[in-house]
This record gives sequence, structure tokens and C-alpha cells, in this order.
Amino acid sequence: MHTHLKKTLGDRMFSCLSGLFFVLFTLMCAFPIYYLFINTISDNRLVLAGQINLFPRGVHFENYLALLRVNDLFDATMISVSRTVLGTSIMVLTSAFIGYLVTQQKMLGRTIVYRFIVITMYFNAGLIPWFLNIMMLGLTNNFWGYIIPAMVQPFNIILVKTYIESLPKELEESAFIDGAGHFTVFRAIIMPLCKPILATIAVFGAVGHWNSFIDSIILMGARPELRTLQHLLYTYLNQATNLARLMQGGGNITAQDVQAALNGRIVSLTVAMVTIIPILLVYPFMQRYFQKGLMLGAVKG
Amino acid sequence: MVKQKSNILMSVFRVFLVIAFVAAFIPDLNPARLSEIINRNASLFTSAISYDTVGRGFERALDREWIYQSTLVLTYVGAIVCMLAVGLVAAAFCMSLGNTRLKRRGLMASGGAALLGAIGIIMLFVAQAGFEGAPNPDRIAPMFPIGIYAFIAIFAALLVVSAAMWFILPQPSKEEDDKLSIEPKYSLFLMVLPFLVLVVLFAYLPLWGWRYAFFDYTPGFALAWEDFVGFKWFTSLFENAATRRDIVRVMTNTFALSGIGIATSWVPIVFAIFLSELRSNPFKRTVQTLTTIPNYISWVLVYSVAFALFSTEGFFNWMLISLGFVEEGKNFLIDGENMWFKMWAWGTWKGLGWGAIIYLASISSIDPQLYEAAMVDGAGRYRRMWHITVPGLMPTYFVLLLLSIANMLSNGLEQYLVFSNPATSAPIEVLDLYVFNLGIGDGGNIPLATMIGMLKSVISVVLLFAANKASKLIRGESIV
Repeated sequence: MHTHLKKTLGDRMFSCLSGLFFVLFTLMCAFPIYYLFINTISDNRLVLAGQINLFPRGVHFENYLALLRVNDLFDATMISVSRTVLGTSIMVLTSAFIGYLVTQQKMLGRTIVYRFIVITMYFNAGLIPWFLNIMMLGLTNNFWGYIIPAMVQPFNIILVKTYIESLPKELEESAFIDGAGHFTVFRAIIMPLCKPILATIAVFGAVGHWNSFIDSIILMGARPELRTLQHLLYTYLNQATNLARLMQGGGNITAQDVQAALNGRIVSLTVAMVTIIPILLVYPFMQRYFQKGLMLGAVKG
Repeated sequence: MVKQKSNILMSVFRVFLVIAFVAAFIPDLNPARLSEIINRNASLFTSAISYDTVGRGFERALDREWIYQSTLVLTYVGAIVCMLAVGLVAAAFCMSLGNTRLKRRGLMASGGAALLGAIGIIMLFVAQAGFEGAPNPDRIAPMFPIGIYAFIAIFAALLVVSAAMWFILPQPSKEEDDKLSIEPKYSLFLMVLPFLVLVVLFAYLPLWGWRYAFFDYTPGFALAWEDFVGFKWFTSLFENAATRRDIVRVMTNTFALSGIGIATSWVPIVFAIFLSELRSNPFKRTVQTLTTIPNYISWVLVYSVAFALFSTEGFFNWMLISLGFVEEGKNFLIDGENMWFKMWAWGTWKGLGWGAIIYLASISSIDPQLYEAAMVDGAGRYRRMWHITVPGLMPTYFVLLLLSIANMLSNGLEQYLVFSNPATSAPIEVLDLYVFNLGIGDGGNIPLATMIGMLKSVISVVLLFAANKASKLIRGESIV
């Protein structure tokens, strides 16, 4: 009896402590986004005085409306959206088609072709040669520089190929007997059956496109109108931090600098919020697919 | 015998086709480079897909009427016609893999390509004369590209070979289906071929860029043999005192940050085990959902979160002041103290929830009978965790650990780039960031950056193989 009581006490302690830890860590993950949000909708003077910490005060949406008047931001949003939509759909179609082709036993040198693609996952030439190469191919300062280099994704091809191999072969074969060609089989049989895996790679591909900014920094230097939203946000944050550094260093600062730094804070926070929202919107879909994708990833091609 | 002979000839024919195709992508063989002003790195292909390649640099010359616009347009159109001929060449190559009937079509296509190419070349000749005879030829530096001769030779060879093949190739036999057909093994290969070209262009061709590591390269100029410097940049890593100091600092940062990551790689396991021990399912799901969000936001957004929370007006200072720890807030983002720890903390904030998922999945696949048996034997909660759950997770952990050791040199660029500012950059400049700064940022030393990147790539591949070998030896299973 005594031992039993001690055990439940220990149990309770355990549950309390680890529950507390998880609550704290979860808050740490979720609170910053909430904090960003309340700081973009509260009275700007209170925000800049650091007065908005737990609850919004003086709610208004001027900041979001003000962003509509920033031309840079509109361009950057269009670029981000179009690269995400176009880049993801092309990548998914390519992965699906290659994934299908490499399951076709009759292909000349099928294994070599497959290995030739997959092996590129394990080496890369490095950032600078990659950049010089893209430049040589005329894709710098060019919107297609976001899309074409990211078309063939070996890992996604492995996922699709593994998935197709798990489907019953008879479906394909009977279609071939009925006289269908490869394109018909791919479009009418393989694509519909592969929806779950294609959704998985689409979601991950879209998040990747939406989030990437290094390629924008490296490739689009001469054409600011091709910057992505993330790159623009990075520029704003950098400016704001540099101004803050100047002010803390007690350097030569003018009232204009102070004003710019303060405006920079509001604008940066609002742009950050605008950039996070699409991720939060597709997040439920990811929840559904990511575990599946992860599990498939464990299966080697 | 005849069949064999024609097969050999067919292969020769295909080789010609491939040469013609590849030549269109080699900048040195660009027949449309009729002036030294036209970019030296432009191939026939790039000249044909954008007028900008041909026309850039002539704005002033056009304004001053040193050259006529029509000359430039003719150059561009000539390039397009030549490129169309090359497109026909590609089609001819595909057809040459079909049955006899299709092969004969292929011969027609390649003959047509040769004639079309001839038209393009003539246009380029006329344009060339336009350059030479321009009102002010000195200012537009006309030149006669070697590419014109190369393409004349290529198109002439194609014409001759396809004409010869036309007579040598046997007529389609009566038994053969009179439809055009191609064996599945070739047609499937042709379908995947465009994608293989993409793989070559974007994954293999960059390796060719390693040559920059052996030259004194200045951006904007082409590589020339006079600039070949051999291993100068490699030895400068050790001999140049300033570079050496940088490298030592950068490598210390790289190993320290990777080391901290590897040393704390068990944290997600603890997270997963303790989470799975909790009873309430809705609570577990909520924790899982909310702690994985940070994984999906980019490092720029993580930095904007840091910016919101840790700058002078931010939440963290407010908290410190309200709790009475400090009198006045300060901006933590421009404070270079404890950067390694901060970077680890942000990495954990972003990755912990996500990192735990794979372990949670492994835990749910552990046989429940093991736990029941242990309970019957009187094992308590901690003993069950330690003797059943932990060993059950070890294989997964081991693979991830080996991979993180193999990736030791690749800390990634984004995290350290966004958190860098003059006050913080020294302790967080890792190898990837150093290469970035050196080659693309202010460093301006492309050869050295290429050399370092090259060494890093080679070492990473070796480490990966070693990790794989270790896994095979210890677990009898490979990881790549």
C-alpha cells in the first residue's frame, strides 16, 4: 500500500513537471507569433515605446493598409507568389514524370539513369561554382533562375518512384494492352493514383520556395524588382538593425535616423506577419502530410 | 554484313549530330559573336534566346549611329535560324533511334538542318559585313568568330553524312510495319533525356566551375591561360597570415557550432520520450502542432521574431525591467556575447519539435508487448523508458548522428547570415558563410572561395562515405 502511494506521488510529480516543461516550450514557440501580431495591430506609439507586450491596445489596421502603398512590397509579393505557384507545380510534374519513367523496366540504361540523378544528392560543387554556372546559363537577374534550377529534385523523385512501385502493376499493364501510350498511362492512371505523395511533395516544395531567400540575394542582385518577399524582409530587418547599432554606438545620428529606425520597426514587423500568414494557412495540410512524407523518406529508393 | 556496316555508319552519324548539338552551347564556338562587345560567355544558344545577349553594350553605339540597328537585328535573326537548325538536329537524333522508316525521316531532318544552318550562316556573314562596313567600325570592335568556320564545317559534314547515309541505309523492308515506330527502350530514354540534360546543367556542370580555383579570376573577364596560377590559392590558405587567421577562426566556429549540435542531439529524444509518456492526447497533439511551426518558417522570419522580442523595445527587455533585473533595456541583437549559445538556442527553438517527430513515430512502432512484459516483471516507468524505449530509438538516433557527423562542415548559411551584423559576425562566421562573404559579399575573391568550397565538398563526400562504412560495420546496414 505504502509503495503504491509513493508510486502515484512520483507519477504525479513526473506528469506535473514534464507537463509544465511542455507548456512552457509550447508557449515559447507560439507566443512570438502572437507577439508579432499584436504589435502590428496596436497603436504605433505604444508599440514603439515597448508598451505592447501581452495584449493589443488601440487596435487598428493602418499598418497593413500602409503596406499596400509600398511599391517594393507589392512586386516582391507577386514574385514570391508566382515563384511558389509556378515553381512548385513544375517541380511536382517533373518529379512525377521522372518518377514514373524510372519505374519503366524497358528503358535503355534505366538503373544508370536513376543513379545518375540520385547521386547528385550526395555531392555539390559549392556555392560559388553553382552561382557562376547559373550566371553562365543566363539565369541570373532572370525570373526563371528561381524555377529551372529547382525543377529536378532527386529526393522527391525517389519518393514518387517508391510510391509508384508500391502500386499494383496490373493497372498500368492492362492500359498498355488496351493500346495506351506512356503519356496517357501517366496522365490517366499514375497521376491520380499518386495524389497523396504528390500532395506531400507539393506542400514541402511550396514551403521551400516561399521560404528561400539566399537564391534571391545571390542571383537577382542587379534587378531589385525580382526580389522575393523574404529577401525584402531581410533588407528591412538589416537596415533597422544597423540603425539601432548606430544609435546605441552614439554615432552621428540625426532625428531622421531615429524616425527611420522606428518606422523600420513597424514596417518590418508587419511585413514579417504578412510573410508568416501563408505558412500558417497551409500548415494544417502539412500536418496531414508531413508524417507520411517523413515515413516515406525512411524508405530508401 | 550490310546491316552491321550501316549500323556503324549510323553511330557515326549520331556522333555528328551530338557534336552539332553540343557546339551550340559552347561559348567559344558562338558564330554570332561578331563583335568583341558581345559577351564572351554567350553561346549560340544564349544569343538566340535573348536579343539582350547580342544587343547589350551597343546602346551608345546606336545612339551615335556608329552602327545600324539592322545589323544587330540580323545577327540576332541569324543566331535564331542557326539555333532552329540545331533544334532540327536534336529531332534528327531522336528519329535516328527509330525503325528504318523513321531513320530515313531523321536523315531528311538532318539534311534540312544543314540547309537551314547554311541560311543562318549566310545571314551572319551579311551581318559581319555590316559590322565591318559600319559608319565607325573602330568603336564597335568587329571580329570574325572562329565559330562561323566551326558551324560551316559542322553543317557541311551533316549534309555530306546524311546524303551518304540516304543511299547506304537499306530501304524499309516489306515486313516492317509501314508506320513510323521506335523501340520502347529508346522512346523511354528519349523522354527522360531532357531531364538528364537539366541534371547535367545544374548538378554536374557546376563541377566544371572548380577550375576557377586555379586561376586569377576577375569577375566580368573570361578565363585565360595566362591567368593560370595552379595551387596558389590552395597554398595561400596556409601561407597568407591574414587568410590563415580567418580560416582558423572560421573552422573553430564551424566545429564548435556543429559540435554543440552533435553534443545535444539527444535532446529531441528526451522531448519525444517525455511527451509520449503524457496521458492526455489532445494535449500531446497541441504540443506537437505548435512546436513544429517554427520549423516551417524561414530563418529570415526567425530573425524577425528575434528582432521583435530582443531589441530595445522588445518583450524580453520589458520582462527584465518588470522583474527588476535591469534598469534600462538594451538591444541584444547587436550584442556579440555568447553567440554560440544563442545560435544553438535558436536552432533548438526552430528544430526541436520537428526533430522529435521522427522519434515519436519510432516510439509508436515499438511493440507494446515489450512494455506489458516489463510491467509484469515489475519495471517502473523510468526502467521501462531506459530499457525499452531508449534502445528502441537507438537505430534511428544512430543514423541521424552519423549523418550529422558527415555534415559537420555544413552548418548551413541562412541562420548565420541573418544573425550577422558587425557586432556579432566574428563568432558565428561558419565555413558556409565565409565562402558566401568571400565570393559574393564584400570579399570579392572568387577563386579562393571556390577553392574552399571545393575542399569542403570533397571532405564532405569522404565523411559521408566514412559514416556509411561505419554504419555498415556496426549495424550491417548502409545509410545512403
